[in-house]
Amino acid sequence: MEGETAAIHALHSDGATRKRIQSLGLFEGRRICVVARAPFSGPLLVEDVATGARVMIARDLAENIEMESRAPEGR
Amino acid sequence: MPRKAADEIVIALAGQPNCGKSTLFNAVAGFKVDVGNFAGTSVAFAETRVTFHGRKIRLIDLPGTYSISSHDLAEKVARDFLLSGEVDALINVVDASMLSRSLEFSVQLTEMRVPMVMCLNMMDEAQRKGMEIDTSRLEELLGIPVRTAVAVVGTGIDEVFRQAIRVAGGVVPAVEPRYDNDIEQALSRLLAVYPQALKDALPLSERFVALRLLEKDEDFERKVGASSPDFLARASEERHRLAEREGRAETLALGSHRHGLVLDLYEKVVRHRRGNVLGTREKVDRFIIHPIGGAITVVGSLLITFFLAFFLGNAIAGLVDVPFGALRASIQAMPKGMGPAVLIGLFEGVVAGAGIVLPYLVPLLVLLAIFEDTGLLPRIAFMVDGILHRVGLHGSSVVPLILGFGCNVPSIMATRTLENPRDRFVTMMVAPFVTCSARSVVIIALAGKYLGVLATVALYLFGGLMSMAVSYSLTRSKKRKSLGVIMEVPPLRQPYPRIVVRKVWLRLREFVLVAWPVLIVSSLALSLLSYAGADATINGLLSPLTTSVLQLPAAVGIPLFLGLFRKELTLIMLGAALGTDAIGNVLSNGQILVLVVFTMLYVPCVATLAAQWREGGFKTAAASALLNLGVSIAVAGAVARFVGAA
Ligand SMILES: Nc1nc2c(ncn2[C@@H]2O[C@H](COP(=O)(O)OP(=O)(O)OP(=O)(O)O)[C@@H](O)[C@H]2O)c(=O)[nH]1
Ligand SMILES: [Mg+2]
Repeated sequence: MEGETAAIHALHSDGATRKRIQSLGLFEGRRICVVARAPFSGPLLVEDVATGARVMIARDLAENIEMESRAPEGR
Repeated sequence: MPRKAADEIVIALAGQPNCGKSTLFNAVAGFKVDVGNFAGTSVAFAETRVTFHGRKIRLIDLPGTYSISSHDLAEKVARDFLLSGEVDALINVVDASMLSRSLEFSVQLTEMRVPMVMCLNMMDEAQRKGMEIDTSRLEELLGIPVRTAVAVVGTGIDEVFRQAIRVAGGVVPAVEPRYDNDIEQALSRLLAVYPQALKDALPLSERFVALRLLEKDEDFERKVGASSPDFLARASEERHRLAEREGRAETLALGSHRHGLVLDLYEKVVRHRRGNVLGTREKVDRFIIHPIGGAITVVGSLLITFFLAFFLGNAIAGLVDVPFGALRASIQAMPKGMGPAVLIGLFEGVVAGAGIVLPYLVPLLVLLAIFEDTGLLPRIAFMVDGILHRVGLHGSSVVPLILGFGCNVPSIMATRTLENPRDRFVTMMVAPFVTCSARSVVIIALAGKYLGVLATVALYLFGGLMSMAVSYSLTRSKKRKSLGVIMEVPPLRQPYPRIVVRKVWLRLREFVLVAWPVLIVSSLALSLLSYAGADATINGLLSPLTTSVLQLPAAVGIPLFLGLFRKELTLIMLGAALGTDAIGNVLSNGQILVLVVFTMLYVPCVATLAAQWREGGFKTAAASALLNLGVSIAVAGAVARFVGAA
């Protein structure tokens, strides 16, 4: 949840989206945390812990990012 | 694109979005292109000719691109140019504070084997983050000159260009990035069978082409497939094998390896001095991205913009009007004739620019420039994405649409950053419903003066609701769901007054040099037309719309028609057409409301239509024009019936 950091385990999105996510720096193994959630089920604001870079990503797209050591229903 | 002269070198600025390429470009070119704190400020190619240390340079500012594989149209512009083989040297501009992500692209650029230097820009930000970058080590590892800069204040730029001139046309990067064994072996197998036909067809580094194929770059697959389908099949096979061995998706295999390579580079050159301290900026940012703080920010910035334009605009307009008033009276007192008609026409055109348009335009442009530079725009996108989803759009359309408050033309251009063609089309159709500064001038001057502040605020809200309604009805029927937003949120930055001033001037220049002369000529033409008595004929043609549907005097026909060229013309010509500046004496408040609503909604100016045609094709422009016409007639007609009955 908010503020908690975890590493990206795998990206399950399809080709173009996956490349887009990667091009913004979200690779497998990077530690990220969710810094904010937009209202009206808007996007998540995700921060790369090491670089401080921030990316907003729609919730349904974020669901395809599998995090490490997290129960699947927690995604 | 003009061919280059023999003694000229071509230098291109390439880098990821928002790293300061255009700022660097402006620093040497004089302020020529727009800058702003969000990804995708530049969506087109810009060039200038400069002389530096005695060398003639054609300098090119490219749209930002995250990687060589392009996703949206703006990135494609950059990619196509990079691959065109026209560059003598690349300046890879890098946001030093985002070094690890930026290096992903830098590594791809070095693989192109083109002379190149790296400009580590935003060193102030990097230092603020506590990063220490060992530039000489980075030079060694990448095999290219690396120089630091703070483009926004102009430091380091000279040295970057000196290096670029030095390597131009000759020295390629001294190091070629090496991947893991698996990839290197796949590469050498591919290079062993690299066909001659492909060498002839694609004059690019062979290793680079092979790498693109291993990355499943669709554009390259098309290019290679055209001349060498067998080689393409071989490459797919290799890629398949790699992905299988690693249990990864094919598109990720190479990217993940490159990421490893970049991390390794990064760790060798960067040291962090201290952890991030929570400064004022971060505190402000926390407030903005909080749901309540965000709502306050979004509504607050809209209100500030509105009230500043309203009160400041009115105050300035009042001041400017004083000296002109007496002059106007004496001109109008002259006997009727051709000469005075010319004089009146010219006079009204000049006064309109100085007294009616500029007072409202300047405050609007200043605020918009400040908002762009702070990084507020992507944050607004974050906050309103959820709401936009309900009407069939999403956050990616926010930046283009907000730019539309300045002018709809850059708004249409900025839709290039939308990857999804459906989103792009819908955004282009919605864009003309965003109240641009020209229409704001009309609204504030007419509604503000005769209907009051509250009514004017209500009109803006109504404009917003109309845009949403349009988006909703356009997307309701389409089955294909839009992809959600993925967008970078850059750090908040304080705007530099110097840059804001130059940016406002860049946009004002367009008004002063292009629009104002149009105003003056139109005003002159109208004055002569009415002198010759021809205005009644044109008004007569338009009267089914003006008198029957809108229930307005026929005389508003010409002002509304001229609004097609510049929306300000409607306002300016109104006084002339009605024969008085006291419009409230001729039109009832209800009629003024109808006029304003119609002006807000009917076909955008020709410049916007032309932009739509260029960017989306004739059909988009035509569809948009019809939509605006239909909506404006229906809505303004309904308002006319309503206020007429009341
Ligand atoms: N702090 C700081 N800010 C900078 C520096 N250089 C540029 N900026 C700011 O960074 C933002 C982005 O600059 P641009 O020049 O528009 O970036 P760009 O690379 O052209 O961006 P795109 O056209 O979107 O690819 C602007 O708000 C600049 O004022 C710098 O050296 N330091
Ligand atoms: Mg730019």
